[in-house]
Amino acid sequence: MVEAELSKSEQHDELAKEIQENNVVVKNLKTYFFTSKGIVRAIENLSLSIRRGEVYGLVGESGSGKSVTATSIIDLIPDPPGRVLDGDVYINGFNIYSDLDKLVRVKIKSPTNVKVKHYKTALRRHNKILSSIRGKWVSMIFQEPFLSMNPVLTIGFQLTEPILLHNLTDLISSLVRLETFSKKNALKVAEAILGEPDYQKRSNIVDQFILDYSLYSVKKYIKQTAENISDPEQMATEFVNIAQTAKLGLKVEKYARMRDYFRLSDRVDDLQLKLVSIEGEIKRIRRRIQELSASSPAGSDELRKMRNYLDTRTSQSEKETLQIKEEIKRAKEQMRRVYPALYFKRILSKRVRDKNIRMAAEKRAIEFLELVNIPAPEAIMNSYPHELSGGMLQRSMIAMALSSSPKVLIADEPTTALDVTTQAQILNLINRVIDKRRGQSVLFITHDLAVIAEMCDRVGVMYGGNLVEEAPLEKLFKNAKHPYTIGLMNSIPRHDVKVDKAARLESIPGSVPNLIDPPTGCRFHPRCKFRMDICSEKKPALVEIEPEHKVACFLYSDEVEESVELEE
Amino acid sequence: MDLTVEATLESEIVSKKHPRAEDFISTLKVFVKNRIALAGLIIVVIYAIIAILDWVYPAYLGIKSGFDLSDALVTFHMSTYLGKPILYPSPITGSLIPFTIGVSYGVPPYGSGAIITLIPPTLHGPTNTPGWWWIFGSTAYNLPIFPVMLASLKWDLTYTVVIVLIGAAIGTIVGTFAGFYGGATDEAIMRVTDIFFSIPFLVLAMAILYVMGVSINNVLLALIIIWWPIYARLTRGQALSVKSNKFVEAATASGSSRIRTMFVHILPNVLAPVFVQISLDLGTVIALFATLDFLGFHYTSIYLPELGNMITWGDQTRYLFATPMNWWPFLIPALFLVIFTIAVNLLGDGLRDVLDPKLRR
Amino acid sequence: MKIRYFIIRRLVLMVPTLIGLTLFTFVLLYSLELTHETQLVSQYINPHSKDIAAQLRKAKIALGLNLSFPQQYILFLERLVNGTWGFFPTQFPMFGGLPVLEGIEKSLPNTVQLAFFATLLSVILSIPIGTYIGARPNSVSDNVGRVFSLVGYAFPVFVLGILLQLLFSRAGVVPRLIGVTGLPIGGTMPTFTSPPSWFRAGTTYPTHIPILDGMLNGDFSFSWGAFIYVILPVLTITYGLLAGLLRFIRSGMVDSLSQEYVKTARSKGVPESWVIRTHVRRNAMIPAITVMVLAFATLLGGVVVVEDIFSYHGMGLLALNSVLDFAPYGVLSTTFFFGIIIVIANLVVDVIYALLDPRIRY
Ligand SMILES: Nc1ncnc2c1ncn2[C@@H]1O[C@H](COP(=O)(O)OP(=O)(O)O)[C@@H](O)[C@H]1O
Ligand code: SF4
Ligand SMILES: [Mg+2]
Repeated sequence: MVEAELSKSEQHDELAKEIQENNVVVKNLKTYFFTSKGIVRAIENLSLSIRRGEVYGLVGESGSGKSVTATSIIDLIPDPPGRVLDGDVYINGFNIYSDLDKLVRVKIKSPTNVKVKHYKTALRRHNKILSSIRGKWVSMIFQEPFLSMNPVLTIGFQLTEPILLHNLTDLISSLVRLETFSKKNALKVAEAILGEPDYQKRSNIVDQFILDYSLYSVKKYIKQTAENISDPEQMATEFVNIAQTAKLGLKVEKYARMRDYFRLSDRVDDLQLKLVSIEGEIKRIRRRIQELSASSPAGSDELRKMRNYLDTRTSQSEKETLQIKEEIKRAKEQMRRVYPALYFKRILSKRVRDKNIRMAAEKRAIEFLELVNIPAPEAIMNSYPHELSGGMLQRSMIAMALSSSPKVLIADEPTTALDVTTQAQILNLINRVIDKRRGQSVLFITHDLAVIAEMCDRVGVMYGGNLVEEAPLEKLFKNAKHPYTIGLMNSIPRHDVKVDKAARLESIPGSVPNLIDPPTGCRFHPRCKFRMDICSEKKPALVEIEPEHKVACFLYSDEVEESVELEE
Repeated sequence: MDLTVEATLESEIVSKKHPRAEDFISTLKVFVKNRIALAGLIIVVIYAIIAILDWVYPAYLGIKSGFDLSDALVTFHMSTYLGKPILYPSPITGSLIPFTIGVSYGVPPYGSGAIITLIPPTLHGPTNTPGWWWIFGSTAYNLPIFPVMLASLKWDLTYTVVIVLIGAAIGTIVGTFAGFYGGATDEAIMRVTDIFFSIPFLVLAMAILYVMGVSINNVLLALIIIWWPIYARLTRGQALSVKSNKFVEAATASGSSRIRTMFVHILPNVLAPVFVQISLDLGTVIALFATLDFLGFHYTSIYLPELGNMITWGDQTRYLFATPMNWWPFLIPALFLVIFTIAVNLLGDGLRDVLDPKLRR
Repeated sequence: MKIRYFIIRRLVLMVPTLIGLTLFTFVLLYSLELTHETQLVSQYINPHSKDIAAQLRKAKIALGLNLSFPQQYILFLERLVNGTWGFFPTQFPMFGGLPVLEGIEKSLPNTVQLAFFATLLSVILSIPIGTYIGARPNSVSDNVGRVFSLVGYAFPVFVLGILLQLLFSRAGVVPRLIGVTGLPIGGTMPTFTSPPSWFRAGTTYPTHIPILDGMLNGDFSFSWGAFIYVILPVLTITYGLLAGLLRFIRSGMVDSLSQEYVKTARSKGVPESWVIRTHVRRNAMIPAITVMVLAFATLLGGVVVVEDIFSYHGMGLLALNSVLDFAPYGVLSTTFFFGIIIVIANLVVDVIYALLDPRIRY
């Protein structure tokens, strides 16, 4: 084991490297549900990482905790009854749980240790930070398209939301292009239009012109002018007039200011994330030191190294923190100067109500609808979810999830609720639209191994809230190790291998464990054919037995998972 | 190409305990944990105990067996205080205001024929009659508020329970019938309930009472006529959804007759919301009972103690005797009534939480 | 265009209910003929004339009391449509000897005024409070709201009304303590020492709505005076109404909060306040708006107790007086009239629902 030889401080560097290289890193995740029937230990000590540009598949029977894992990654566990009690989730290098210290996360019912007010403000801040991450870095597609779309809002409204939230600067920049609009440009366009005899191509040029200079609000007049006037000079003058009567000329300055404002505000958001993540890191090192000094003898080698590491890191981070804070202050000051009205009233509705920004957002949404092969996207924009078929809705969900170009797309059984032909289309679509080269990755959740085979690069197998095996696709299918995975493999019909009829389809006896009162030791042991004595006493750790291939089973390694019990 | 294991998993978490017993215990736990609902239950039980005691052994409450106001009027009013001055303490300033009995209020509104002299209400009662029954002072006719209030409860609660239970029984059976049989039967019954719902129920009660004449039996009848459609609608919807369940199909397939299916399989399954509604309606009906009396439908005999009566007297006497208003002859019986309606509502709310597992945490 | 067909279809569906309503009213009338025949007939008789028996016979024939059940029903329908709804007896307060329809015409506007303010106030209060509470289930504010609603549900209206009188009326506790005049204990509108031309027999002209008429005729002090008269009744009604609306909006919000689409919205990174205001509230408000409309309609007929306590001359008091002062045609007409109002309100509600909720196809 390479890791064991590394000192703890070096392990930190190892972690740093890991989170640098992966889009998502989940470490020791623990999610419980506190229900009236008891505590559901839905996720216990789960770690996984999703690399840049890969499709990571999660497979397992229903109830094994796949959805809970996914929702824990973007912290959307419904509270009450659920809570992510422990563990870290690094998305794009940022630990989304770093700003919640442990006490807040456990949230003791009677606030003896934590002041309720402190708890509330911490949560509010956490949610604010997360809402700038959700959608921007991670988006999610859900199982039931009919339930996941708001029935009383148009598809267009719901599609433009993420764009307005996360791509505002781009949008406004496109509006500001009007700055370059002048008589000269207009003349050039007019000549191009008049020089084109074909009607279809001419209207394409007009559309492009409207798009280029964001003249959506006066679209009708531009088109009329383009059709009716035959003199380029006159047409150009008319274009300029139209633009001016629409007061767009005046608004350009406003949009330029708005663009600068939102650029700054994006920057502030980034800086704040950085700040939070530095604070979180220090907090984590401190916690580790506390744990170490409690468990190992004082003055041990590890502890000393950790302390040294902390000292250097603290002095470093203090400087960094100060710098960042200074920078945020400066940026905020600038923001106030650039657009005071926005600064004092930062509400979403302002962006949504601005007609030009809305139009630009809609334009972009339509592009994405076209990308996911939706016919007549303009008509779809104005329709309501119940007017569409399941396949169409799922396509628009995908368009919505992609429209803010996230780093990671989480797809939680996106095809389960659809009929078979549509399923294949949606799978192909996801494969096609994911931009792997630009490092976009997918967390693909399904209970269907056939789908996994079609979609994924690497696969994790879940059972009873644990990851029991993780391997690249080929390895897993050729050489499954864990008894549960082997059972799963045997339960799918195979065409390539000839087996005698009786043994063809073999299901795993028994059912998924009750997670309120899970089996001791290996959670699979009541159903396992290879069960040994140790299996019901100790819990196997997830160990890399071959390069890239991890299994949690005593058949392959003796390592026991050290579990930290929650003190209630 | 789903996993074949998938199908077996739908049976959810299998528990070792007997499912019904566990369900009941967890239900009870949820209810007991809801302190507010528990408080409501306790208050309702106290009221019920008073009413029952009143029937069975009124002496425990210090009330003469067969007590009615004719006794009270004689014992408390006529013989004891006629012609004696009473010191009447003002509730705000605390100073004592002397009044002499004999202030005539004229004919009591119920027209019994006899002229009964109205004595000013007193907070603590005349000094020469100490006793626990004066703790809330007296009301018109110088009746002590407290014991009369307790005696009133007997009639109020009894009539209310009778109205609600009969209404609920009729409504539940009709509604289940409509929902289960469907078709034209259902349509006809629902149109009839539509008419009842389209007239405000107080107005409807007044109209029915006008036609039938005002008497206690007719009030019972009128309120039952008004109340059953509520239950009919409630249970019809429930029956419709229960009907589509698999076990009903199974029962029909295994040769159970329609009537049997309705009573054995459907009816028990629509009862939960009926119980919630009953608990809420107890409050509404007792208030409606008092309201009708307040509005002038004096269905009870003047000698029958009744909360609506008491509140009305309190209302009528409040401007009569003192510059600062006499609030207690009105307010204390009113609060006595309000506490009951609030408690019943708390109880109903708690029951709803328990019986509607969707809201359970 | 499609909404027109929807309305027509709903109108057709209304017919059975209307027939049922007329039938019900007629059964009331028919039973009255059995129990209160003298009262029905008496107003058509001159008590000073000698031949009362002959008059009685004539009146009975004129009223159709000798006809068979179906024939009488037809006659009844005819009179409904003609607008000959009968008369009040001569000793009836305010409208003695007048046609019932005139009584309704002059009472309804007062009630409209009351219902308008009560609905307005409770809507204005319930939407923001309901949203706030519904977004925080099981919090302290939620529990406060819950208790408020429960008490509002449980408080009998007449107790609340009298309580308000005790507290705020002229002789009440609060004005006494802080030394102000206090509100009127009852009544409909101020009176004049020398009434102007638009004020006759306790009624204002042209619309009969006192506050509005005052403004139309340029007498704003009268409008203000009339407004002061409605304050206490409106507060009494508002409490119960607000309690119901709050509970309704809250449960709608909680229901909507637990839906999948809220999760979707959050997964897009929509800020929480925007999720609540747009995604959650919009779903919760659609049924709430229809409830508000229905509440207004119910108020037009259902404020008997409040109008009685505050001696406010509206429809409720008219209905009550009809019963207490033995005006059979008053009883029948008010009952029927309230039924019609609710039936129409149900139609309006359905149309509003169809317009608001995109899921309903018409
Ligand atoms: N809201 C919830 N309340 C209580 N338990 C839950 C909730 N959501 C999930 N769980 C529990 O978490 C476990 C894992 O569920 P889930 O992740 O949905 O499984 P799947 O692998 O089918 O997606 C299940 O045992 C389930 O009972
Ligand atoms: S650890 Fe034991 S029980 Fe668990 S899978 Fe391996 S052999 Fe089976
Ligand atoms: Mg799932």
